[in-house]
Amino acid sequence: MTGLEAIAAHNGWSIAIVGVTIVFTGLAMLSIILSQLYKVLDFWENRDDFFKRLKRGDAAEDLPDITVSPDMQETVRQYQMLADRLGEPFSLPKLLDFAQKCGLVNPHATINRLLKQNVIVPDGEGYYRWHQAISG
Amino acid sequence: MENMFLEFFSNTGYAMADYRHVIMIAIGIIFIYLGIAKHYEPLLLVPIGFGILIGNIPVFKGLGLGIYESNSVLHYLYFGVTAGIYPPLIFLGIGAMTDFSTMLARPLLMLLGAAAQMGIFLTFLGALALGFAPNEAASIGIIGGADGPTAIFLTAKLAPELIGPIAVAAYSYMALVPVIQPPIMRLLTTRKERLIRMEEPRLVGKREKMIFPIIGFLLCCFLAPAALPLLGMLFFGNLLKEAVVTERLAVAARNAIIDSVTILLGMTVGASTQADVFLTPQSVGIFVLGAVSFGVATASGLIFAKIINLFVKSKINPLLGAAGVSAVPDSARVVQMVGQEEDPTNFLLMQAMAPNVSGVIGSAIGAGILWSFMN
Repeated sequence: MTGLEAIAAHNGWSIAIVGVTIVFTGLAMLSIILSQLYKVLDFWENRDDFFKRLKRGDAAEDLPDITVSPDMQETVRQYQMLADRLGEPFSLPKLLDFAQKCGLVNPHATINRLLKQNVIVPDGEGYYRWHQAISG
Repeated sequence: MENMFLEFFSNTGYAMADYRHVIMIAIGIIFIYLGIAKHYEPLLLVPIGFGILIGNIPVFKGLGLGIYESNSVLHYLYFGVTAGIYPPLIFLGIGAMTDFSTMLARPLLMLLGAAAQMGIFLTFLGALALGFAPNEAASIGIIGGADGPTAIFLTAKLAPELIGPIAVAAYSYMALVPVIQPPIMRLLTTRKERLIRMEEPRLVGKREKMIFPIIGFLLCCFLAPAALPLLGMLFFGNLLKEAVVTERLAVAARNAIIDSVTILLGMTVGASTQADVFLTPQSVGIFVLGAVSFGVATASGLIFAKIINLFVKSKINPLLGAAGVSAVPDSARVVQMVGQEEDPTNFLLMQAMAPNVSGVIGSAIGAGILWSFMN
């Protein structure tokens, strides 16, 4: 027996469809879990801080509020978008490289200014985080 | 004395050889040539090529020399293939040498590895349509997974009589990835798509890498328990690598163990291609289907990458889809090569390793599924 008849007789269509579905489901499930894994690990590593903040009732922040001048607000917004794309924590050379690629003006000087104003803060392990509590 | 001389001569390979032995010996020499001169998967093609030479020396039946004679040394070595022992050991070594960082950094790319497994199931249908029995069709389909050990493992379980042609077809096409894939990649992508630059992957922490093999193992093997021998060893090998404290074991797995097993596997698979069992119309069908399978797998990955691009903001270079076939790391290298033909400053190799290694997981799951269905 050959052709479509052979496929149907040996249940080929069902095996192929179910097989492809299972492979996709398996890798999609693994992909979803892995995409969240680093967030869970980040949370686990910083769980003490989180519970401290929770106890204090100000879970969202532990850095003091900072205010940026109106002329810096647009710059801060642009660099925050870049930092969001890089994901936290990020390295300064990558942020600089990204800013250059995006054609932002004077990225060296701007990043230096953001560092001085504590808009970008070191995480103590060689990387940097974005200050979450910024007001205009 | 003259009779003794004639009797001795009639028992030599020169007297017993026919045209089929000559053809197979020529194939063996081509394999060795491709491995040494063209550098196409030399670690596989050279042992297989020499194995083909070993298997096609005409020998006197009954002396316990041939690989299919139960008391021969070759037969004992071949037991590792027929009993499915060597492939899991190779997976142990692959796990111990694979860095899953880029896959962990961008898990979405794993779906390209899943898409490329379409080749397995479409070839399975093709083989059924050509009149192969279901267990043989499943063994032929797995060639599309582009994973030699997986193909051998499944064939040993489902259609042991086809191990020779299937293994040779799988490894031949794996070696020919740089020849087979680029035309399909160019045909199915536009220049603009080939120029897409990928974002640099995020940094993956040590702890994340350490937890991955445990999560991956549990999830995949609960889903497809028949993939346990392959995936169990793959993830175990990777845990040995990432755990740091087991570095000695990881070094053994990725050097001594995988090298020894590759020698034995390649040589015995080559030796199993004896002219009388290998040169059949069935083998020709397997080779044709194998080539189709590779093409379909590559095309599926490419097309799926284009589909993903319809939904995501940060576009994926569709060439990465071709790396979903699990010929590690050759198909990733081909992606890099084709990408750099358009833009020499575009580096896709690291990104291509993500679908490439997920393809290994996907093809092992595919093999497990086919095995369980055929049982």
